[in-house]
Amino acid sequence: MQQSAWGWLIITYLFLAGAGSGAFIAAVACDLLAPDWSKALARAGSLVAGPLVIIGTLCLVFDLEAGFWQPWRQFYMIGNLRSMISWGVIILSIFIPLALLYAAALNEITFVGKLAQKYVTAIEIIGSLFAIATATYTGVLIAVVNGVPFWNTPLMPVLFLASAISTGLAAAMIVAAIIDVKTIKTLSNFALGHVIFLSVEGLVLMLFVFMSLTRSTEAALSASGLISGTLSPYFWGLVVILGLVVPFILSVFEFLEYGKMPKSLVVGADLLVLMGGMSLRALIIFSGTPPQII
Amino acid sequence: MPRYGIAIDSTKCIGCHSCRVACQNQNELHFDETFNWIKSKDRGQYPSYGKEFIPLQCNHCENAPCQRVCPTGATYTSKEGVVLVNPKTCVGCKYCMEACPYKMRIIDHRRGIVEKCRLCIELVREGGTPACVTTCPTQVRIFGDLDDPNSAISRFIAQTGAQPLRPDLGTVPKIFYKRS
Amino acid sequence: MDNSGITRRKFIIGSAIGGASLVASNYLNLESWATTEESTQDLKVTPTLCDGCGNWCAIKVYTRGKRIWKAEGIPIAGNNLGRICAKGHGLLHEVYNKDRIKSPLKRTGPNKFEPISWEQAYREIGQRVQEIKKEHGPESFFWLQFPEGNAGLCSRFMNALGSPNVFSHATTCFLPRNIGWWLTIGSAKPEHDLEHTRFAIFLGRNIAAGLRLRALSDLSKAKDRGARFVVVDPRFSELASFAHQYVQIRPGTDLALMLAIANTLIAEKLYQKDFVDKYSQGFDELAQKVKGYTTEWAEQKTGIPRGVIGKLAHDLAESAPQAFIHRGYHGALGTQYKNSLQLVRAVACVNGLLGNFNQRGGMFFHPEVKLGRLDPQKFPKTPELGDSMVDGSGASDRYPITPVGLGLSQAIPELALEGKLKAGFVYHNNPLRTCPNPARVIEGYRKLDLLVSFDYILSETASLAHYILPESYYLERDDVVHTNHCFNSKQVAIRQAVIEPLYDTKPMVVILIELAKSLGIGNYFNFTLEEYNQAALAPFGITLERLKQEGVIDLGGKWEPGPPQFKTPSGKFEFVSSTLQDLNLPAVPEWEEPLVVPDQSDIHSFRLIHGKQAHHTHAKTINQEYLKEISLLNDMTRVWIHPERAKALGIKDGDCMTISNSVGKGRARALVTDGIHRDCVFLPSSYGVYSRNLRTAFGFGISYNDFLPTYFDPVLGHCMSNEIIVRVEKTPA
Ligand SMILES: Nc1nc2c(c(=O)[nH]1)N[C@H]1C(S)=C(S)[C@@H](COP(=O)(O)OP(=O)(O)OC[C@H]3O[C@@H](n4cnc5c(=O)[nH]c(N)nc54)[C@H](O)[C@@H]3O)O[C@H]1N2
Ligand SMILES: Nc1nc2c(c(=O)[nH]1)N[C@H]1C(S)=C(S)[C@@H](COP(=O)(O)OP(=O)(O)OC[C@H]3O[C@@H](n4cnc5c(=O)[nH]c(N)nc54)[C@H](O)[C@@H]3O)O[C@H]1N2
Ligand code: SF4
Ligand code: SF4
Ligand code: SF4
Ligand code: SF4
Ligand code: SF4
Ligand SMILES: [Mo]
Repeated sequence: MQQSAWGWLIITYLFLAGAGSGAFIAAVACDLLAPDWSKALARAGSLVAGPLVIIGTLCLVFDLEAGFWQPWRQFYMIGNLRSMISWGVIILSIFIPLALLYAAALNEITFVGKLAQKYVTAIEIIGSLFAIATATYTGVLIAVVNGVPFWNTPLMPVLFLASAISTGLAAAMIVAAIIDVKTIKTLSNFALGHVIFLSVEGLVLMLFVFMSLTRSTEAALSASGLISGTLSPYFWGLVVILGLVVPFILSVFEFLEYGKMPKSLVVGADLLVLMGGMSLRALIIFSGTPPQII
Repeated sequence: MPRYGIAIDSTKCIGCHSCRVACQNQNELHFDETFNWIKSKDRGQYPSYGKEFIPLQCNHCENAPCQRVCPTGATYTSKEGVVLVNPKTCVGCKYCMEACPYKMRIIDHRRGIVEKCRLCIELVREGGTPACVTTCPTQVRIFGDLDDPNSAISRFIAQTGAQPLRPDLGTVPKIFYKRS
Repeated sequence: MDNSGITRRKFIIGSAIGGASLVASNYLNLESWATTEESTQDLKVTPTLCDGCGNWCAIKVYTRGKRIWKAEGIPIAGNNLGRICAKGHGLLHEVYNKDRIKSPLKRTGPNKFEPISWEQAYREIGQRVQEIKKEHGPESFFWLQFPEGNAGLCSRFMNALGSPNVFSHATTCFLPRNIGWWLTIGSAKPEHDLEHTRFAIFLGRNIAAGLRLRALSDLSKAKDRGARFVVVDPRFSELASFAHQYVQIRPGTDLALMLAIANTLIAEKLYQKDFVDKYSQGFDELAQKVKGYTTEWAEQKTGIPRGVIGKLAHDLAESAPQAFIHRGYHGALGTQYKNSLQLVRAVACVNGLLGNFNQRGGMFFHPEVKLGRLDPQKFPKTPELGDSMVDGSGASDRYPITPVGLGLSQAIPELALEGKLKAGFVYHNNPLRTCPNPARVIEGYRKLDLLVSFDYILSETASLAHYILPESYYLERDDVVHTNHCFNSKQVAIRQAVIEPLYDTKPMVVILIELAKSLGIGNYFNFTLEEYNQAALAPFGITLERLKQEGVIDLGGKWEPGPPQFKTPSGKFEFVSSTLQDLNLPAVPEWEEPLVVPDQSDIHSFRLIHGKQAHHTHAKTINQEYLKEISLLNDMTRVWIHPERAKALGIKDGDCMTISNSVGKGRARALVTDGIHRDCVFLPSSYGVYSRNLRTAFGFGISYNDFLPTYFDPVLGHCMSNEIIVRVEKTPA
């Protein structure tokens, strides 16, 4: 009896698809809500969204077996509209071109970019919908799995969406800092974003974990594995403290100190958010326990 | 059309693993691949100590989560109610393995596809009985048509009140267990 | 079929995306796994006999082209009724094991082998044999085997050479069981009408792992009819899972239990008076002898509450004569304790008190098939050789009732070291692994001037031989007509080649015939296997072709209940054994202590007991990867230990333990379980391969033989394989 069929490739996929779609949402938010001083971030977000999702999708494809060696089999993958993978394939194949188009538009890449600029608002609206769909679907993908009661909760898509947005924002901020170091100062405006989304994510995470303790025996087993079992050092250390609390505190200071924080700490907080997001996915996958059947 | 299932009397299982190897040969599996498992469970302390062997295999669920999540439709239910995988269309995404609450699916890395108990349907269609059923020295398994009230399996289930494993999971299995 | 809908939709969407041209329509053909390329090749079914263990189950082997696919049991075969065990299935793959010997080999150095031709092998062996015979006489030769159907021909070979020294596995397996029954009822292996029994006790006999498929099938039917079964064992065996009651006994004390049950049956007049009066001899002596063996006394010895003992006696009596205590095999009644012979006698006597012989649901003697023989012209008598062996088997001053032809194989190394044995032939047996005290065995076998092994892989023993003549694997060879699978009717069966030999190997009978020629005894082997088999079948008017087609033929003559007949000296069931009386040995069962007991004051001191697992035979199947995988997957090499004893030693489930005594030392992980008696640890007996040439299993697990001193039971000379005290401790990190 195989215990866990999915491993690091799927975890990476779940993480990158989330971070990519989150970055898209962050970019759109910057472009629409705070056009002037946040241009750098919008551009960075749009640039990073597509590639992250593409790399994530490649991970998914690498994880396929027959579908990898005989790629034409992948066409079958939209064959069952009751399957979240079929939906995922459809969503991704629409979102990825949109994300690339958006990057081209905001960064004026080639004539395509120029052309796309005309429809940028439409791209932003439709793209955001598909970005939300991508982030949410990665959660739904595992939430519908009866085989693992711990995952089987409507909170899962919410948690994945929250985590997608905070990691997406972090990814965008890092890229913005790389493209233009000076933006670091203006980036502090977005620390508030981190403060908000990390709080939301933390809240949902705690809800998810603690409610699991009473949902079913198996969910409780998984949850207590995270809280106090063998996985607990990783859960508390990587996800909660380094991935949520520390970046949260740093972000609060960053917001209050406005631009006076050392650059390394600003980027450091973002890296921690990314690390936390990845660890969260990994721990959720690894702590999944099948029902006790005998 | 018959609706096939298996009734298992675990009080007769001696954990000899004959069913495992019979199945491996019937289905040409490698030594480390299997479609059935023998798990054991201890209870109590001597003098009331006991140990039960429980043969496990795919339950051929009527409401099969593995089939529901399969993006390609490679997992399907045959006309006899047997849940099967079409090796020509499976992509090896392993979503079904995650979805099966009984963890009764395995990946065949050589062919890159997911596999599971086939209820020996090709043998059955030729009028035979599944390999794990015929080889069992203590006749733990009873194979037959669940829709025929006079079949050995239906009578066994009616007489003993045999139940599927974890019926509360809602998958409606077609493997029934008498466990005490 | 709703999936055709899915298929069509998938097809449409697939083509819409534009990849459809790549999708050949056959990819959408559901159920196409049923027709792989090979399956289109010609399918053939060949009946034959499995060689996985001494049960010789009748099987039908399916081949596709030249490749073996699967096997099914032959339903009419008395011994297996159409069933096959895990080994029977798994060993089909063994033909393709990469470790197989591919031609005759000559050993040129330690673990160095050179392929040679059959002619060269025969010639060189012939020369050596002549030299040794001249110098040391033919009595310096021995043959050791796990007797196959051709065992008679092997003995003939040795006798023709002039040596009576034909050894078997008996001394490590069943010797007291056979002798005890033979003394009491005149037959070594009575059968049980399990299917119709109402109550049965399995005492140190675990048919659920030391498999007998027929018995298991009958047991299952009897259970359906409401029969009850009790397992008496120091550990919760696989059969205990099936049975209704499990009684834990202190190892080595079953004799006390039997004596107390006999006492209860007699004292409370619960025995079958009719049977005792008509068919037995010595009842009064027995009654007198067992008087003192109360249930209170037995509770002290066995650790079983007196109430439970009394209840067992009553349960037996209530169902008698449709009740029995199993005749035993290796466990407890076999070659395990100093008191095993007395125990077998006691078990037989209790069965006598139940009057179950030749009764429905009791015990019976299976119908015997008398095979035909070649005419004496072609099959001259071999020289008369006296009636004892070099190890003292059959000798009035050593082991007078140990039969010649079974022998005490653990004596071979000793005799080689003393220079009494100079050359040996080892066939279908692996003394370096399955005899006690391997270091001593190696030392002894190294001393031999000539060691010839007939094996299909380089087992521990073959690896030490001067010459290895590879027998074709059982799926590649024709063998002699068998009758071993008979149960309650007369049957003949045959093992035959399912595929052509993959390598330069030969069936044993062919090797014997050819080797005989170069040893100058060709006149005794002046026939072919075909002729030999045709002669065997002649009395029944069955042709060899028909037998090869059907695999098993039932000749009728089914056993029916009736008045029993005993082939003892007195012609009766012997509560007092006249043979033992003549030899001045205890002739009525009486209590005898086991040879050794663990030191109660030492928390490290345990008796080491062992037992079979259903998916392995002795030590020969662990090199088969399908069977090894089962052990790995279920973590089955662990040594069982009682929770309280483990706790006192700081051992937790899965911890590594060091086991040692004066003979050997080894490591194994712990299985902490309530299913074992406090006094002992239990080691599954299939492991501990140390031949480097068995690459799948080398170094896997340990064996009880690693700790077993070279003993000789005083009466029969068997190896007393559970008389082992070991020190158990947690392996320091
Ligand atoms: N370690 C250990 N020792 C034991 C036992 C145990 O369980 N474990 N059990 C005891 C008992 S009850 C018994 S009966 C004896 C059995 O003692 P053995 O007969 O020595 O036991 P096996 O392990 O069956 O070894 C059989 C040998 O025959 C070889 N062989 C297998 N197939 C063929 C074939 O087709 N042709 C030829 N020529 N050779 C073949 C194998 O390679 C192996 O070397 O062992 C006793 N000693
Ligand atoms: N799968 C398989 N089947 C086989 C074989 C095989 O190797 N593998 N070998 C065949 C051969 S050659 C043989 S001899 C038979 C052996 O068949 P069995 O004699 O049934 O086999 P064992 O496992 O040696 O011993 C049976 C039981 O005796 C118990 N026992 C040990 N000491 C005592 C004691 O003091 N008192 C009591 N009451 N019980 C005790 C052991 O715990 C074990 O459960 O199996 C035959 N069938
Ligand atoms: S047991 Fe698992 S694999 Fe079998 S039908 Fe049910 S869900 Fe599918
Ligand atoms: S691995 Fe194959 S059978 Fe399983 S869900 Fe994926 S495509 Fe379907
Ligand atoms: S029914 Fe057939 S495929 Fe399924 S476990 Fe039994 S032997 Fe294997
Ligand atoms: S063959 Fe029968 S007794 Fe043996 S493990 Fe399988 S179900 Fe149990
Ligand atoms: S019991 Fe198993 S190994 Fe022994 S002869 Fe029968 S099928 Fe072969
Ligand atoms: Mo044996």
